[in-house]
Amino acid sequence: MSMRGEVQFEKIVKMHGSFSALKGIDLKIDPGEFFALLGPSGSGKSTTLRILAGLDMPTSGRVFVDGEDVTAFDARDRDVAMVFQSYALYPHMTVFENIAFPLEMAKLRRSEIASAVREAARKVKIEHLLDRKPGQLSGGQQQRCALARAIVRKARLFLLDEPLSNLDAKLRLETRVELKKLQRSLGVTAVYVTHDQEEAMTLADRMAIFMEGEVKQIGRPADIFARPDSIDVAAFIGSPPMNLIPTRYSNGSVDLGDHRLRTAIQTPGEREVVVGFRPSAVRIASEGIPASVELIEDLGDSAVLDLVLAGHSVRARTGDRRVAEEGETVFVTVRPEDIHLFDAGSRKRL
Amino acid sequence: MSGRKLGLALIVAISLAFLLAWVFPIVWSILNSLKTERDILAYPPKLVFAPSLEAYRDVLFGSAAILPNLWSSFVISIGTTAITMLLAVPAAYALARLRVPGKKFAGFYILATQMLPPVGIIIPYFLILRNIGWIDTYQGIILIYLSFSLPFAIWLLVSYFEDIPFEMEEAAYLDGASRLRTLWRIIIPQARGGIAVTVVFVFLNAWNEFLFAVVLSGNTVRPVTIAMFNFVSVEQTLWAKLAAVSVLAMLPVIVLGIAAQRHIVKGLTVGAVKGGGRR
Repeated sequence: MSMRGEVQFEKIVKMHGSFSALKGIDLKIDPGEFFALLGPSGSGKSTTLRILAGLDMPTSGRVFVDGEDVTAFDARDRDVAMVFQSYALYPHMTVFENIAFPLEMAKLRRSEIASAVREAARKVKIEHLLDRKPGQLSGGQQQRCALARAIVRKARLFLLDEPLSNLDAKLRLETRVELKKLQRSLGVTAVYVTHDQEEAMTLADRMAIFMEGEVKQIGRPADIFARPDSIDVAAFIGSPPMNLIPTRYSNGSVDLGDHRLRTAIQTPGEREVVVGFRPSAVRIASEGIPASVELIEDLGDSAVLDLVLAGHSVRARTGDRRVAEEGETVFVTVRPEDIHLFDAGSRKRL
Repeated sequence: MSGRKLGLALIVAISLAFLLAWVFPIVWSILNSLKTERDILAYPPKLVFAPSLEAYRDVLFGSAAILPNLWSSFVISIGTTAITMLLAVPAAYALARLRVPGKKFAGFYILATQMLPPVGIIIPYFLILRNIGWIDTYQGIILIYLSFSLPFAIWLLVSYFEDIPFEMEEAAYLDGASRLRTLWRIIIPQARGGIAVTVVFVFLNAWNEFLFAVVLSGNTVRPVTIAMFNFVSVEQTLWAKLAAVSVLAMLPVIVLGIAAQRHIVKGLTVGAVKGGGRR
């Protein structure tokens, strides 16, 4: 497998008038990697993808693909394929003609085109639909057609802009798995934009967290989940999100009302901090910090408890719904190693 | 009868009244074109008569045949339509998609040309064409018609192009298509309904035009709308022949109208909803 499809963003800035959509993006994507750009809407992830595709020009900064500066290249000279959120199929052409279009533009011979189209259609399981028009396809089939059009050309980069967001929940899960398999079998670099952290966590080899036009953290999904760099990332990753409580740190512990919560972190002196712990790290025990149970959300195989702990709203996730009743007071503990500490001023991890 | 039915009956009655008012001159023309001059002038009017194709024979092959005039009308209408579309499609695409200086106001300027009362510019047009020796020529009349049809066509087409999703075009670029090829392979096929409507409107406007033609044409280039008046003179009006020419002149309009009916209704609504065509 040729190792192509390496991407590097260098200080990418994008201004829309006086609004800076991207405030200096530095990012490196390795060949063959499945890389997710994850962030809330308006965070700049789609703009970043469009700049990589050549559909938008950065205000400043440079984009390299395989070591070549492509910043000034037209989209059609970049050898990248893209799946749009709306699929952007050509409605007046059949599925076959849609998939064949990039090959036709590359001036391949008719016989080569036909076999390549069939091959791509087979990979996404739509061989039987080649004579249909996009309007005669279901949403899932349209999505597959868009995928086939993107993979048929064997471009060096495979860009996906929220490709699953228009599918219903069940189909989304199925397609997610197939997408990952497809990318692995093709060995192509994939850059995947999504606001759905579950998608990013399950699909991506690595991901970048976008917020307000900046990359907040880059890493493997599991690493980012385990060690968020900042309060913002901690609050964004995880569902339900991490509990974050502003408090004081001294001597290895933090204050929670009248109680002290021991942490695994040792730094000298006292300081204002934000303590964080995931809902799944909260344990209901026979002793610990008292908390009143406000509401129980039963998810069937687990439950989320809305607690009030020392005046703060805290959520706990438990495997067993029967540990508490609404209105009851329970005792909770958090293991020191499950505790994240962030500096209240810099909002960075301690 | 319930109120609902009564309302429906009223609507049908009013529609019928309008239809009658509209259809009367057409029926009158068709009937008279099949009568002899004597039958036309008969009083009381003859509802039952022996149909004759004499008037048609006369206006098509007789001494005052209008075949050359029909031909003039065709050349002018087709020429105007072809040149208009050739220029309007790329222009409308550019206004819909590209960053063109002054684009924001282009819609207004284009419409402004349509607001001028035609009578006000006939004389300047006449003087210009006379000075360049283009009075009574095809190129002269087509040029003048273009000054009306082109802004109208651009204005109409822009709203169609704007309805095509941007992403589709971007997908084409990423698939390796140039801008021109994208226009040809992706945009135009999807705007074909709008293009058909525009073709019909432009053709009909040129075909039906009278005011400019009467001033700018002559004996060489004489569209049928003008030639019709050969049969109206101070001494007499040859009603049967006039009616026959009217029917012949209406024929392509009616055929085109029926052929493009579905598109035209859609096209009128697009114009209605979109207002200025561009925001």
